Amino acid sequence: MKPPSISEHDRRRKKALIALQLVCYGYLLMMFCIQLYMYSQRDW
Amino acid sequence: MNESQSDELPLGTTPAFANMHKWLRRGLIVCLCALVLEGAFTFPLLAVWYGWPTLSLQEICTEFERIRFSDESRECIYPYPLFGPAEGAGQTTARDEWGVQPRPQYQAIEYRELVRRVEARRARENQ
Amino acid sequence: MSSNTLALGGTGNLDEHHRQSRQAQWQADKWMMSGALLLGTAVFGIFGLPLFLRGLWLQIRAERSGLTMRPVIVTLIGYLVAVDAALNTIGWALDLVAHHTLLARVFLMAWGNMFDAGYFWHYNELWIGGATAPGEKSWEIALLPIVFSMRIAAAIGFLQMKRWGHQWLIVTCWFGVVAWAGYIANMTLYADVRYTGVVFPVIGWWLYDIFYITPFLALPYLHSVNREIFSD
Repeated sequence: MKPPSISEHDRRRKKALIALQLVCYGYLLMMFCIQLYMYSQRDW
Repeated sequence: MNESQSDELPLGTTPAFANMHKWLRRGLIVCLCALVLEGAFTFPLLAVWYGWPTLSLQEICTEFERIRFSDESRECIYPYPLFGPAEGAGQTTARDEWGVQPRPQYQAIEYRELVRRVEARRARENQ
Repeated sequence: MSSNTLALGGTGNLDEHHRQSRQAQWQADKWMMSGALLLGTAVFGIFGLPLFLRGLWLQIRAERSGLTMRPVIVTLIGYLVAVDAALNTIGWALDLVAHHTLLARVFLMAWGNMFDAGYFWHYNELWIGGATAPGEKSWEIALLPIVFSMRIAAAIGFLQMKRWGHQWLIVTCWFGVVAWAGYIANMTLYADVRYTGVVFPVIGWWLYDIFYITPFLALPYLHSVNREIFSD
């Protein structure tokens, strides 16, 4: 069992994983917004 | 983070990631339920929207084909010959604005619109 | 885990505890496997969900009673990525090889007309049949064998808590990220073909498909779990 204190290694890994998720969801959101913008411009 | 909390952590989850794992678990449950509901209800709801059970599946298939290829003479052949050419191959009737971004000219099909199309056609034929 | 083992102290030694744990896990897995099989067929999913939830409940109950079970999140990820891959496989296999069946020509067309005209526009006109939207067919041919069938295999190994299962699930979930990124870029570029004359453009497609983002949810876990719980 690991000691309950959060290691520096874990802290950096956590930061990287949160950044990864922000990038992924940000990309999806961006594509969605582009499509919404196109939707508002055309008669689909 | 005190001793008793870290004891309750699931196997493989370190204290640093306890919170993240909790949220991932919630997201996973939401996705699971949503996929199940979609899987269960998509087919029946689509069928009702496009005219079943008033129209048979083959009649719906025929209407789709007529709209897709803008050709009122098309019929949905079923069962389709196993090694025959693709049903739409070589068709010349579909209407599009051609260009680097083609734009089809068919309209969206409204709720139960296919039923009204079929009924109108039958009324015309019976006159 | 030490406190859990102590709670069981009276019933026997470590071997006995291990045997009981495996038995309880298998018991729960039987329910969840039959549930997941039904979930993967889409149409019968509603009958599969109660079976699956009962299995999950059995697992959680056994864990509470002090047995050493597979973590709930591992169970959820393993089954969910398998179900997600199975659902994708059904739809795309239908389009790839069964495009002239009545089922495909009614339900794929209906779905396409409602959410994504990639499955309506000039359908069954290519010599290979099926979807005709730019790029769509290539995605099907590439992703079916590489992503979805491999992900189902990986999920099975992952549920058995095997090291290869963990590793291959990481690989195939990254494939899933590539697939999502490329697929929606393609979709946005050819949005005119895909959303013109559609009943619920854009919002409809996103509402329907967003729940397939399971690889995005699985990856942060797979990269942050203590790898020692997976064995060779």
